[in-house]
Amino acid sequence: MNPPKTATAEQIVIGGSEELISGSEAIAHACRLADVDVITAYPIRPYDTVMQYVSQMISDGDFDCEFIVAESEHSQFEIVKHASAVGARVFVGSSGVGWFYAFEAMAVTAGLRMPMVAMVGNRALDDPGAFGVEHNDALAVRDLGWMLVWVETPQEALDTALIAYRVAEDKRIFLPCAVSCDGAFLTHSQAIVNVPDQATVDSFLPRYDRGDKLLHPDNPITIAPQANEDWVMEIRRQSDAAMRRARGVITEAYEDFGDKFGREQEPFIERYMMEDAEIALVGMGTLALPVKVAVRKMRAEGRKVGFVRVRWFRPFPTEELQDALSDVEAVGVIDRDYGFGSSFHSGVLANELRAALYPVENQPKIVSFIAGLGGREVNTDNVIVIAGMVADAASGGMNDQDTYWIGVRE
Amino acid sequence: MSDVITETLDDYIKTQVLEAWKGPKTVPEQEYFTSGHRTCQGCESALVMKLMAKAAGPRTIILGSTGCMYVANTTYLSTPWSVPWMHTQLGSSGSAATGTAAGLRALMRKGKMEKERINVIAFCGDGGGADMGLSAISAALQHTEYNLLILMYDNESYANTDIQVSGSSPYGANSTFSPPGKERRIMHRRWKKNTAPMLAAGHPECKYVATVCMSYAVEAMNAVRKALSIGGPTFIHSLDPCPKGWDYDPMFSHELGELAVETGIWPLYEIEEGKIKMYGKSKRIVNGQMKRKPVQDYLLRQGRFAHFIDEDIEYFQAKTDEMWEKWLIPGVLPFSAEA
Amino acid sequence: MSTGSVEVVYRGIFQKTLAKNICRGVVFAAKKEGKIGTAFGRYSDSPERNGIPAKQFAVVSDTHDELQEHLARYEPDNNDVTIACDDALCKGVESWAWYGLQPINKLLKKGGTLLVTSFQSPNKLINFIHRKGEPYNLALVRAAASFSGLWVYKDDHTDARLLGALAKVAPHIVGIDAICEVIKEQWKDDLKVASARKTYEATETIPVSADQGNEEVPFEFEKPGWKTMEEGLVIRGISAEQQKVEGWEGGYVPTRNPTFKKFSTRTMRPVINFDTCIKCTLCWLQCPDSCFDITPDGLYDANMEACCGCGVCEAVCPVEDCVTMVNEEAFDDNASQWEMWVKDKKGYETWMTEKISDKPPRSHGFHHVGQYAEETADEST
Repeated sequence: MNPPKTATAEQIVIGGSEELISGSEAIAHACRLADVDVITAYPIRPYDTVMQYVSQMISDGDFDCEFIVAESEHSQFEIVKHASAVGARVFVGSSGVGWFYAFEAMAVTAGLRMPMVAMVGNRALDDPGAFGVEHNDALAVRDLGWMLVWVETPQEALDTALIAYRVAEDKRIFLPCAVSCDGAFLTHSQAIVNVPDQATVDSFLPRYDRGDKLLHPDNPITIAPQANEDWVMEIRRQSDAAMRRARGVITEAYEDFGDKFGREQEPFIERYMMEDAEIALVGMGTLALPVKVAVRKMRAEGRKVGFVRVRWFRPFPTEELQDALSDVEAVGVIDRDYGFGSSFHSGVLANELRAALYPVENQPKIVSFIAGLGGREVNTDNVIVIAGMVADAASGGMNDQDTYWIGVRE
Repeated sequence: MSDVITETLDDYIKTQVLEAWKGPKTVPEQEYFTSGHRTCQGCESALVMKLMAKAAGPRTIILGSTGCMYVANTTYLSTPWSVPWMHTQLGSSGSAATGTAAGLRALMRKGKMEKERINVIAFCGDGGGADMGLSAISAALQHTEYNLLILMYDNESYANTDIQVSGSSPYGANSTFSPPGKERRIMHRRWKKNTAPMLAAGHPECKYVATVCMSYAVEAMNAVRKALSIGGPTFIHSLDPCPKGWDYDPMFSHELGELAVETGIWPLYEIEEGKIKMYGKSKRIVNGQMKRKPVQDYLLRQGRFAHFIDEDIEYFQAKTDEMWEKWLIPGVLPFSAEA
Repeated sequence: MSTGSVEVVYRGIFQKTLAKNICRGVVFAAKKEGKIGTAFGRYSDSPERNGIPAKQFAVVSDTHDELQEHLARYEPDNNDVTIACDDALCKGVESWAWYGLQPINKLLKKGGTLLVTSFQSPNKLINFIHRKGEPYNLALVRAAASFSGLWVYKDDHTDARLLGALAKVAPHIVGIDAICEVIKEQWKDDLKVASARKTYEATETIPVSADQGNEEVPFEFEKPGWKTMEEGLVIRGISAEQQKVEGWEGGYVPTRNPTFKKFSTRTMRPVINFDTCIKCTLCWLQCPDSCFDITPDGLYDANMEACCGCGVCEAVCPVEDCVTMVNEEAFDDNASQWEMWVKDKKGYETWMTEKISDKPPRSHGFHHVGQYAEETADEST
């Protein structure tokens, strides 16, 4: 349902092929091109489609890696964590409560500084057992040392997965990275994608090298001894420093990616019709499609509305969002997640953004919206309603210290 | 006594020959788990670590799941290991072994790492193995393409966290979760899980499952060497007397291991490629060459059973007798054929 | 207006209940005197091991605010009284929760009292105890270290006696009448009350001057900061190469962990008769702490920096009297017995015979059901 990010003939100068593939299949291609060594799978909708593609590639001889169907998500994540320690490039993924089943493993993966790349096929948490998208699954690890990025299209999924390996495995970082693909809208939706050739990928993505952190008989180290209060603050501070360094490394990677693949994009956020915008909408993932369409419609009516799509949630693009939103009158944040009992009962993105914009002069009003939970449609009409409410808030006609549920039956 | 590599499969070294050591005097001097761990005095599990590492040799990676042998061995900045060692989560010994072996296999096959037989051993306590980690161990034992050994050091409780009852604790044992009280003398009424036979029976392609006790150190080390030689995933279950949790003077660690075997409470056997073989005193018990000692000789030496009265000892004895007199395979398989 | 704090240093699981009884006794007794108090263990020492030193504290104050002021730190570091439940702790304590050896009197305030259960002479203990640099007092309770495990408590009145002694050396914390009242309430045992009062009356303190004691600087380690610590939770393993030690060529001395030595866990040490050793290897093989060095002549010498005194070597040795566990306070250093033997076999025999014969009874704990009742009955007769 998403149109592909159009690639012009000039851009595709480096070879590769054009394929009609889903977001999941795009990520499977990224794994193949990254020559991933160990992949673990466990079935849960909707992320598992990526593993269906991966297993077929292996079965067809197009891709050589250890492919292990684990007996639970916990094992799935633990297996690749340990494979990563001996120098293997790894890939893993999950959705919804499957992601939560692996929660312990995800905490330690970040603590251990293992550069695992995971795909999240974002899905509502049980109960009720809905298959559709919500972002609360991936967001749950946001403070643990995982880098988190949301993508909009199959092309961006493929490109971002390659960038994720480069950033995560950079020795300055060594942090895991989760690439979030909205369930159904991206995991199961196809678009024309440029699948790059191997040589270009190889020129962009160096081999994973753990250096003197490699667990090998030639390097007899002890990894992760138990630590008491004499050590834990120093260890956490190291992770903090790595996450701070990630900003620069991500920027470098996007620049180099643009040079090598001809697809240039702003690393942390996408600004859509934001020049001279008075009202800005903010969101993540495939919401972008109806929002962009609605923004175009409103612009056609002369309303100065723009959109900022947040790609990287960790590290959070504080400076970029301050820059993009400090001149607007009001911001409407559309969360595809919830934060029950949080400040103003808002979604997670809205409250992060409130914190990021707190020091800005001429703070815009920030209005929080919750929409599209469990995969419910967010359509252009919804977006236009939202924009109208944000405009009211800008003029003081509406309370901006509350959160509004859009598309919910009363 | 050279360790010969005999076979390669899938460009990945599948089997090797680590010859059995003939007796204590042929055991090499080198230590790969050395002094300066922070375990209790007389810790039999620390001895398991030392001798397991010695049996495996220097080309080994060891993964340790949460428990005493993680917390007490490797307090930050401090390690007793001279082979590479990494912590894994409480229920993850199976996954740690699988992941490590898979990583090595992929890297060697794809030419990213020099081809070499590297031993992969993951250890877990009884809580991590017989309780929380059972499903991951089960999965690991199905992966015949990976060489790995999972060693469960069973001190019959969650000893690190202050001695809480586990699925591997013996009937009636005192623990901080099963204290005898004014109303209830016996709080822990479950019979100890029969873990090694469960894993052997449930994973017919697993080539080697053994029980050991470090009171019989050479046999135990040879079990480790065989497990690492035979190829594919393997499992060893070690009974480790624990002075802290069982409550006894640490100088008796060795003797209590012997008593566990001599009373028939802890049978020693190997299940190798589908064939079961009792060994040591357990073999003599089965063959009728040795009479089992009464279980009270073992129970009354430990503070964890100090609350037992005669009927508890009798119950324990009767259940132990059943193991040897009623079971299809005495001491091992708890079925009997229908008459 | 005052606050008093008591530090109890003990042998982990072996004396956990003993330490708890002392600390709770202090708090309950102080309450009888209208004070307010609390008792707690040093969290980093838990999960406790058997033998490895651990600490509990009792703090009592006249008022709630004073108590809070004293507690607003990780552990009381300025104690009125430090109780060592085993005199071997006077050689220093290496808890598994910190780095290096801590002198037993380190957290004792100037002029405070170190209270030790011991049969040794005060001077002998002072020679073990690291020099404090400030004057303090030493008081002894004449008793062997009382060891028992988690589940069966050996009620030999050591708790009551230490509480009685405490009332003598620090009456400002708690008085003997309150102590006796609490013991009576807790145990309903007049004999125990009598033990406390008798110890109270018998306890005397000896002043120790600032420059008295062991001059040795206890080993410790600088803790690196986050910028110099390795990332990824990595620390370097121990070298698998043997140590090169002069005079040991042809033998085998493994490299050992330099950051944790474990000898302060020891309350007994093995004394080895090298003349009767049959080189069966069992002490070496069965030692959980890899503490036996293989000598150039194929004997086994327990390394006293690594030995924690569990006694397994004595238990597994097939030769009678080849390995004998002897109380730790009979020794002044951690020197190699084998080197002593090589140098002077006759002299070694004399030394060894003396050590083995002068061996007060001491046990690490539980041997069999009914044992403690038998022993306490014996002791009371």
